[in-house]
Amino acid sequence: MHPAVGFAQLQTRRHFLDGCQLGLASMFLGSAGLMRASKTDPLAPKRPHHEPRAKSIIYLHMAGGPSQLELFDPKPELQRHSGADCPKHLLEGKRFAFIKGVPQLLGTPYKFERVGQSGTWVSELLPRFAKVADEAAIIRSMTTQEFNHAPAQLLLHTGNQRLGSASIGAWATYGLGTENQDLPGFVVLVSGNKTPSAGKSLWGSGFLPSVYQGVQCRTQGDPVLFLRNPEGMSRSMRRRTLDALEDLNRLEQGRSGAPDTLARIDQYELAYRMQVSVPEVMDISQEPDSTHSLYGTEPGKSSFANNCLLARRLVENGVRFVQLYDWGWDHHGTARRTDIRYDLPNRTRDIDRPIAALIADLKRRGLLDETLVVWGGEFGRTPMRENRQGDKTEYYGRDHHPFAFTMWMAGGGIKGGVNHGSTDDIGYYVASDPVTPRDLQATMLQLLGLDPYLFHYRHKGLRERLIGPTNEGRVIEELLA
Amino acid sequence: MALHWITSRTLAAAKAGILALAWLPASASPDFATEVRPILQKCLPCHGPDGHSRMANLRLDSRPGATGADGGYAGLVPGDSKRSRVMVRVQADASPMPPAGERLSSREIETLGKWIDAGAAYERHWAFDPPVTPELPAVSDPDWVQNPVDRFVLARLDDAGLRPSREANRHTLIRRAALDLTGLPPSPADADAFAADKSPEAYSRVVDRLLASEAFGEHWARVWLDLARYADSMGYEKDTLRTIWPYRDWVVRALNDNMPFDRFTILQLAGDLLPDPSTDDLIATGFHRNTMTNTEGGTDDEEFRDAAVKDRVATTGQAWMGLTWGCAQCHSHKYDPLSHTEFYSLYAFFNQTADADRNDDSPTLEISEGLSSPVLSELAGDERRETFVHKSGNFMNRGEPVEPGVPAAFHPLPEGAPMNRLGLAQWLVSDQNPLTARVAVNRVWARLFGTGIVATEEDFGTQGTPPTHPGLLDWLATDFMATGWNLKAVIRNLVLSSTYRQSSDASAAALEADPENSLLARGARFRLAAEAVRDQALAASGLLSRKIGGPPVMPWQPPGIWQVVYSNRQWETSPGPERHRRALYTLWRRTSPYPSMTTFDAPSGETCTVRRIRTNTPLQALVTLNDPTLMEAAQRLAGRAIAEADPTDQAVLERMFRLVLTRPPSETERDRLIALHTDVSRDLEAHPENAAKLASYDQVLYTSSRRHALLADSRTEAPAWRYTTEASSEDWTLSEFDDSEWSLGRGAFGFSPATADSDAPYKESLATNWDTTDLWMRVQFDAHGPGLDGFRFEIRHSGGFEAFVNGIPAAMDLDGSGIHSPYQMSRAAVASLRPAGNTLAVRAIHTGLTGAARNIDIGITALRPPAFRFEGGQAVARAAWAVVANVILNLDEALTKS
Repeated sequence: MHPAVGFAQLQTRRHFLDGCQLGLASMFLGSAGLMRASKTDPLAPKRPHHEPRAKSIIYLHMAGGPSQLELFDPKPELQRHSGADCPKHLLEGKRFAFIKGVPQLLGTPYKFERVGQSGTWVSELLPRFAKVADEAAIIRSMTTQEFNHAPAQLLLHTGNQRLGSASIGAWATYGLGTENQDLPGFVVLVSGNKTPSAGKSLWGSGFLPSVYQGVQCRTQGDPVLFLRNPEGMSRSMRRRTLDALEDLNRLEQGRSGAPDTLARIDQYELAYRMQVSVPEVMDISQEPDSTHSLYGTEPGKSSFANNCLLARRLVENGVRFVQLYDWGWDHHGTARRTDIRYDLPNRTRDIDRPIAALIADLKRRGLLDETLVVWGGEFGRTPMRENRQGDKTEYYGRDHHPFAFTMWMAGGGIKGGVNHGSTDDIGYYVASDPVTPRDLQATMLQLLGLDPYLFHYRHKGLRERLIGPTNEGRVIEELLA
Repeated sequence: MALHWITSRTLAAAKAGILALAWLPASASPDFATEVRPILQKCLPCHGPDGHSRMANLRLDSRPGATGADGGYAGLVPGDSKRSRVMVRVQADASPMPPAGERLSSREIETLGKWIDAGAAYERHWAFDPPVTPELPAVSDPDWVQNPVDRFVLARLDDAGLRPSREANRHTLIRRAALDLTGLPPSPADADAFAADKSPEAYSRVVDRLLASEAFGEHWARVWLDLARYADSMGYEKDTLRTIWPYRDWVVRALNDNMPFDRFTILQLAGDLLPDPSTDDLIATGFHRNTMTNTEGGTDDEEFRDAAVKDRVATTGQAWMGLTWGCAQCHSHKYDPLSHTEFYSLYAFFNQTADADRNDDSPTLEISEGLSSPVLSELAGDERRETFVHKSGNFMNRGEPVEPGVPAAFHPLPEGAPMNRLGLAQWLVSDQNPLTARVAVNRVWARLFGTGIVATEEDFGTQGTPPTHPGLLDWLATDFMATGWNLKAVIRNLVLSSTYRQSSDASAAALEADPENSLLARGARFRLAAEAVRDQALAASGLLSRKIGGPPVMPWQPPGIWQVVYSNRQWETSPGPERHRRALYTLWRRTSPYPSMTTFDAPSGETCTVRRIRTNTPLQALVTLNDPTLMEAAQRLAGRAIAEADPTDQAVLERMFRLVLTRPPSETERDRLIALHTDVSRDLEAHPENAAKLASYDQVLYTSSRRHALLADSRTEAPAWRYTTEASSEDWTLSEFDDSEWSLGRGAFGFSPATADSDAPYKESLATNWDTTDLWMRVQFDAHGPGLDGFRFEIRHSGGFEAFVNGIPAAMDLDGSGIHSPYQMSRAAVASLRPAGNTLAVRAIHTGLTGAARNIDIGITALRPPAFRFEGGQAVARAAWAVVANVILNLDEALTKS
């Protein structure tokens, strides 16, 4: 339920919310009043509800649903019964994306070890993460309602399994603005050559004004769409055109008196600065070799490793929310490239070093305390082998599993070394301390200094909140430092 | 209602006498609608019409409820705030009400107290009673009044002691009217003719011509399509493309034909239920087939059919009545009179259609050969579904059964109306409906004036903002109905009013007096919509195709935007003039909408959008400065001006300026832009390569005519490759590797079992058999020619591949691609290219089952350098004007309707 809040806090909050309302109202009613854009800039930093534990968030989403049973949640009992028919009572009334009939239980081919001071279980597929595991709070009791990619991803990112709601990054920039006006406040980086299933809606602003939507920064082509001047237009020529543009806009403003024109003049200057600041922050070639070998980065390449390094550079430069998507975690075992023996090691090899590097790098720069790092997929994978192709297949894989999966958080206000929640003997259901997407969202907002229950936006007669209309979402206090 | 009001006032006066409030005039109760209701709203989440979540048996949304007359807890004692429990609780130090967050201010508490002391009179929400034609108010300056609209506006200005602004000048006025009515700028010739026409009918003639142009329907269709959540794809994960543009074209035609809005309504909601519906009547029902369809594996079709039906209820409430019915799908509405059960009575109207979230979007109507579009179709009697209340909105959690019906707080269904969608549509356009006409005219008003008379266009309920000009809204609504729901007539009235014609210039004093211009003492001024930003630039430059209707098109967009899972459909720029169609015709994929338009606040089409919230961001500046489509427009605008104007700098500049802004530049503006031109010309003389590119920018941008094959694939004449299916030594990728022992064969390589017809389209092209897991292939190719660029592979493959050029990694993919897809050649590989004798080595990987089909087919293409049309001084002159045109298209005035 609601944390107790004192009157002073309420005052602050009201002030904050009124401020938000004012900013928005003046923005969409097209009257910046007599104030300059800087004062009504919807992305200007705003005061949170309470003292934040994290200034920014790096959210690493493994699209497709990485297998908790191969990575974080060892199940000796499942190993023992590998190959046996799945008990009928677990299947009754259940729907799976692809499993039909009675599938067989499937043990993992990988070894697990207890690592770090916390002695948490980590798979041999993540040897480098094992070395920084003490920084993370591992939640083995995640559970969701959705077993298809798009709705499950939407639920996790927007609080609603259907399209049309605002993503958590949009909520964060709506609530807090951003620290560096020369960069977008909410940046999205995609690796694996594919956008996640739910597409750009995952970083959309939904019902929030579009200024809060995530800006996809690309590692090939323009880092931000239309950032580069047209071919043949040099930067010095661009400067001259903008000078002329400003002169003419000021003449027009003198005639019309329109305050919006002043705001637009500022936006052009901001755009001009972004043309330098974005490529600068996106250019990792100036990083020392030691950093490249730490992350496994190669300048000019499109990779998850490069995106991890970029994430650090972005939060270091005041970006509020950095969202990484890595595609290719949907290991059904219908082909070699979705086999948990053949392909999963490729995927983990691509992420293990950069994630460990990201945590270590943030820490050595003193940024880990104020940066929340979140890792996970949209659901887990079944303790059963997927049987889509019957006996014909030589490959091994698992179907989508909404009932239990693993996520972890580190840095910004998180107590390292925590093991939260557990699953039953074969990893089918959560056995203790279930955590829902709403709980996760509530916790993330709380760490950012936003009260998840009060933080809202009025839309079509509803008080829209990230955590949804009911108060069942709960800040997971056990994870907080 | 009126009687109640008098009684309570009288009562209040009596009470005031007894209480002898020192300074308050005896009868002054705070205004209920504007002052009291907003305070009470804060209590309604727990003390409102939703009985399910009501706390302490206290209800504050009605007088009988609040006073305990309905048997509940008596929170209010009318006339006695001190004895009213509500007053005690809102002022309490310990656990005050409301319990969380929004504590009442002392001013609000005072207002509440005064209202209770004055008798606690409730008023029914204004929007729930049908509009009555109001009397026209008296005004200070009858000469200013063109039509009744102006009377209402001027009367309010008179009250506020403000004067309207002068009429905008002719150039401004015609640009404003043209952008508002057609979304396109006027031609300078039309503007000059209007400026020279001194007859009193000059302006109305312009307006009538614009209203009659086909561009009118295209422009206003976009407004309706936002409500219809129109898109060219099904949504959800796969977001497959669908063919529903015939519905879009129907909307354009209906608006151009000025179809009466009541008929427009009935056809879209229930065209299929009319006797002998025409093809057009059926296409119109596409309105509610724009809901999303989920074609993902393993999903429960009923879950998504239910989602579509709920969306239809919510969208109908939004689009026609400006009400947030969607709120009541989980619980009774917290603020407005719509119970949970009533939501499902509305749901029942929509629950009998044959569509059921099927992959093929059926039922569809065959419009011509090979062209079918989704339509509504009613289930036959024996297939009809039962409707139940869904507890907490969950379709699996059935409550009581319900029958179709309309909410009790509103008028009943018209006599004789059938209990189906047709009856509901007739109910919506009944003259008893308090909202449909108001919502429609308010929407028109908002598009023309920037903000609605009711600013919250999407919410006319108790949570919405009250109208700034209630009399005007009701006059417009009743006039709309009385003139046969004539939409063009409403628009014409507004555009011809003196109110509309005012200059939008504002003095500092005027801005201070009314910063948001809610009293309309000046003309409206706001940024153009996403579509108009594009269309204006194309129109001014002469690039705009004026073809109306037809399948959606793909204008240029940056590569790599469509990286969609499960689809190999590529975004391929449409040929010729098709790429320069109006924005309305741009292919709209919900999960990956056209980026430069979403940057300007175009909605994704996922849900009904009633009004777009205008934002102002640096990303928009990047679009208008750098989007190649807009730079192409700048280049063409320059070329057009050079061709059409006298050969002087002044004349060329003036022509460009007027094509965009209609008015001629002032002397200062002209001098500044000519100075820029001189400055830029000097720069370009020093950099002729830049001049050549800018002067022929279209050739830089559109590369298809410059692309040619360095290595042909099986679509043309594939060369013979060396290949093997046996793993060989590590050095197989190197040029010097000896592959003479390998077999010889032409592409495409692959295997297609007789039983598996999934790969049937590719069978004919399979020239060489490959049925193992791996395939190693080598071939030589040349890369000679000056200035070659843009090297890429074009590969169709069923599994993964890795490609090496001269031993250097050049491209790879882990995933199949069903059609020839481009893969950029890596920079290192490009650097290794020599004019002749390059070695391409490819390993194809089959990742599927042993006996399954597989194939690979590989080509390489490159771009020849553009053949620039202009060189030397000619290129410099054209390029410099293109740069100036780029500035003109970015002027605040160009991006604004003023």
